[in-house]
Order: sequence, then C-alpha cells, then structure tokens
Amino acid sequence: MSLIQISGLKKQFQGTEVIKGLDFSLDKGKCIALLGPNGAGKTTTLRMLSGLMNPTEGKITFTEAKKGEDIRGLIGYLPQFPVFYDWMTGLEFLSYVGRLAGLSAKEAKERSLELLELVGILDAKNRKTAKYSGGMKQRLGIAQALIHRPQLIMLDEPVSALDPIGRREVLDLLEGLKKETTILFSTHILSDAEEVCDEILFLHNGKIVESGTMTELRERHQQAKIDLFFRGKAVQYAHFLETHEVTQSVMLEGNRVSIFVKDIAIARRAFLQAIAEQNWPLEKFEVSSMTLEDVFMKVVRK
Amino acid sequence: MSQWLTLLQKETLEMWRNFKWIWVPITFILLGVKEPLTSYYMPQILDAVGGLPEGAVIQIPTPSAAEVLITGLGQYTTLGVLIIVLTTMGIIASERKSGVAAMILVKPVSFQSFVTAKWAGSALLMWISFFIGYLATWYYTGFLFEWIPFDQFLQTYFFYALWLTVILTITVFCSAALMSPGIAGFISLAAAIVISLVSNTLSNWFEWSPAQLTAYANEVLIGQGISDHSLPAGILAVVCIIVLLSLSVLIFRKKELAA
Repeated sequence: MSLIQISGLKKQFQGTEVIKGLDFSLDKGKCIALLGPNGAGKTTTLRMLSGLMNPTEGKITFTEAKKGEDIRGLIGYLPQFPVFYDWMTGLEFLSYVGRLAGLSAKEAKERSLELLELVGILDAKNRKTAKYSGGMKQRLGIAQALIHRPQLIMLDEPVSALDPIGRREVLDLLEGLKKETTILFSTHILSDAEEVCDEILFLHNGKIVESGTMTELRERHQQAKIDLFFRGKAVQYAHFLETHEVTQSVMLEGNRVSIFVKDIAIARRAFLQAIAEQNWPLEKFEVSSMTLEDVFMKVVRK
Repeated sequence: MSQWLTLLQKETLEMWRNFKWIWVPITFILLGVKEPLTSYYMPQILDAVGGLPEGAVIQIPTPSAAEVLITGLGQYTTLGVLIIVLTTMGIIASERKSGVAAMILVKPVSFQSFVTAKWAGSALLMWISFFIGYLATWYYTGFLFEWIPFDQFLQTYFFYALWLTVILTITVFCSAALMSPGIAGFISLAAAIVISLVSNTLSNWFEWSPAQLTAYANEVLIGQGISDHSLPAGILAVVCIIVLLSLSVLIFRKKELAA
C-alpha cells in the first residue's frame, strides 16, 4: 500500500532545473534508499517532501492525510546537518519539539526519555546540546524526527558524517526502526543502502534513472562476471584475460580483475586451466553477482 | 493556544538563560535614574571635582520634576531604542541562518504562532524592563524633586511603551524579512530615526504619527492634559503593529526555510 505519491515533481533555482520531474510512490512499512552522487538532487527532493521547500511543479500526496491536514504531523525529518538551540539540553530540546508536535508536557517528557534511551544518549540528557559531539547530534536529530511517531521519517545522509562505529550503530538503529515506520533515507554510500534498505531509488542529475528492490536490480543488470584476486598487481595477467574469446570486457583495480564473460561455464574452465598451467599467484577466484556499486556505475555512466 | 504558549515559554526561558532578563532591566534603570540623580547633585559634583576658579559662583536653576522626568524619558527613545533593536534584531533572522528554524518548522508549527510568540516574548521583556526602569526614574524624581501623580506616570508609561512597541515590531518585521540580523538591525534603527525626525520636525502634518505619542506624553507631564490627537495616534500605532506583524508572518511563510 502506498503511503505517499509523488508526481511530476520539479524544482528550479534561478532558472536552472535541479529536479527534472520525479514520479514515484513509497510503500508503507518499507525502507527506501535515495541513492545518488553528490549534487544529484537528493537533499532538494527531501526538502520538498518535508515541506521546507516548495516544488516549482508537481504534486506530493499523502494517501492517508485527511483533507486540509498539516502533513508535517505525519513526517519526521532529519536534515543533513541538524542544528539545535545550543542553550537547551538534549532532553529539553526533545520535550520542546514533542510539545510543539502536540504531545502533552508529560507525554513529551516520557517519549523523550524513551527516545534518548533508544538512540543511546540517555547519559547526556542533561548536557547542553552545544557540548554534543557530531555523532550525538546526529542521534539527537534522529530522536527528534521520531518524537511524534510519524508515519514516514526522512533522513538526509544520516551516516555520512559519522565514524565507522557511529555508522554501524546508526545503521543498526535504522534496522530496528523499520518495524515501526516507513523510512526514506538519502545516501551516497552504496553499502549502507544495500544493507538496510528494501528498495532503492537512483537519482542522477535530477531524474530517477533506476529503481526497484535489490533483487530486481540485480536481475535486470545481471551479467556473468568473474573476479580474480591476485597476490600483487594484476595488470600483467590482464592481457591474457582480455584477449580470451569468452571475455566481453575487463575491469582492472589494483590486485583485482573483474571479467565480464559470455558464458560462466566456459570461462570458469578456461581461466582455471590457465591459472593452473601458468602458475599464477591467485588468492581468490569468485563467480560473483552484480553489486550495487556495479549497478550504480552502469546506471550513472549511461 | 497551548502550542503558542510553548513557543512563548521557550522565548522567555532563552532570555533567562542568556541573561537578558537581568541586563536589560538594569540598563533601563540606569538610563532613566541617571537623570534625576545628576540634575540634583550637579552643584555638589562640580564642587567636589573642583577645577573652578576661586570665588566663581555656580548658579544652576533647579529643574522642575516634569523636566527631569521628560529628559529621563528621552533616554529611552534614544539609547533605549538602540537596546531594543539590538536585542530583537536576530530573533528570527539568526534562527533561520543557523538552520534551527527549519528544525522547528518541519514540525506542525503554525508560522503565525512562531512569529507572534517571538514578538510577544521580546515585547514582554521590553514592557517589563521599561516599566521597572521608568518606575525607578519616577521614584527618584519624586524623592529628590517633587512627586508626579502616579496616574500621570501610568499614562506616560503607556504612551511611551506603545511607541517603543512600534519600533520593536519594525525590528521583528525586518528580522523576518531579511537573512542577516545586522542588516535587520540597521534598517530598523534607520526607520525609527527617520520616523521620529520627520514627525517631530513636521509635527503639524504628522499629528497622528505614532512617534508623536512621546510628545503627547510629555504634554501630560507638564500639565497640559491628554492631547486630542493622542487617541488617533494610539490607534494608528496599534494598526501599524498589527499590519507589520501580519506582513512578517506572510513574508516568513513565503520564504523558503532552506537556503
């Protein structure tokens, strides 16, 4: 069931069209990644969905919103760089935002404590937000987006600014949140999207160039591929692989050679034979499926 | 309504945390009280500091209580205005600049409440600070010179406070319309100066100007009674405040929060 429908969404800044017509819908209970290189229009799209920016053209419809209802009550939004009143403590800020979203003073406080616990900064609840680290601000930002139990939360690059540990924790947090609400988050880190999300929207130059679930994407872009990992540089073996009749194309990356082939069975036999005969210092032989990165590169280069 | 009160409460708490509730009233007291004190003790001060040739006779006519109070009030329309503009100019502009306004306004907060609660917060600070400051001035003037009737004190407080509220509203408007607190402050000050200057010099043409309220208040103090023009001037001031606030909400809503 779709929660929100976007049709013909466009945005111009001083005559330049940044978003060139988006049409998509988000299903309830799903986690969707908005993926794209820097400058693709991810932030602009999220800002329009959250109501911070007015679209130049197009419509955003919440299926469940009653007529004239303020849709801001149905969404939670975390900007890329969350800012707080630095003279407030974390708990005060959350309670304040909760009360603005319509909770009573008591509810707001209980919900705030619950969320501070959930995002793991309960210890810092009475500290001024000015003293929070980047990771703590990001967590407080996620907490404020959840305060009024919105139907949809939108997170703009929630993990890009975090260190590996913080990233891991926020991703686990998102994994847990999937049960409660619909999540739309933007990122340019492919593995994050692959890990947490059910569905992916590829945004490139203000257009959706590809979308679907991970399995759908793999099937659509499936190509037989063999990865060879060598001890040392792989460049000296590339020539043989490139000129082999079964090879379509070769990608070289340090000690790795990726070979796109016409037929996996023939290629496997031929390459393994060559490796054995010429005694190549092979570390790993992989008949691999397409990663999101491959899809990404393919789609963006089109 | 409860949302509006939450917003107002945040404003007053913020002014408490950054000590505005302390320094603004104190400054307003000092600004006003300076006048009766220096007028009264001027001969003694000159005497004590010396520097006058032997035998020089100092004759300073003792000013009347009304004169002292009027000069004291004059401080509020000059330095007082400066303080009001400086404390108010960033009220919306700086929150938008830092991005925290966007954090708040993605929640179902009405733009009208957001702007009017901010206005009410700073107006409250100004009314209270001015009341305390003027009360102190009135007390010292009465103590050292003559007592001005308390109802005259209240009338003049009301007239001056109304004019100061107009200036405060201009500042809130500039803060909502402009991105930079500094420019908002500059334009508000310039507007206040131009309005007072024009209304005072061409007072015959601008009898209903809100800036003339201060002149009508002074007439009350020197015993001329309440001017006939004060009612239309007062009404015009209230209209100005309402129009400026509505425009602030309108402009603020139209502007995109994300730069």
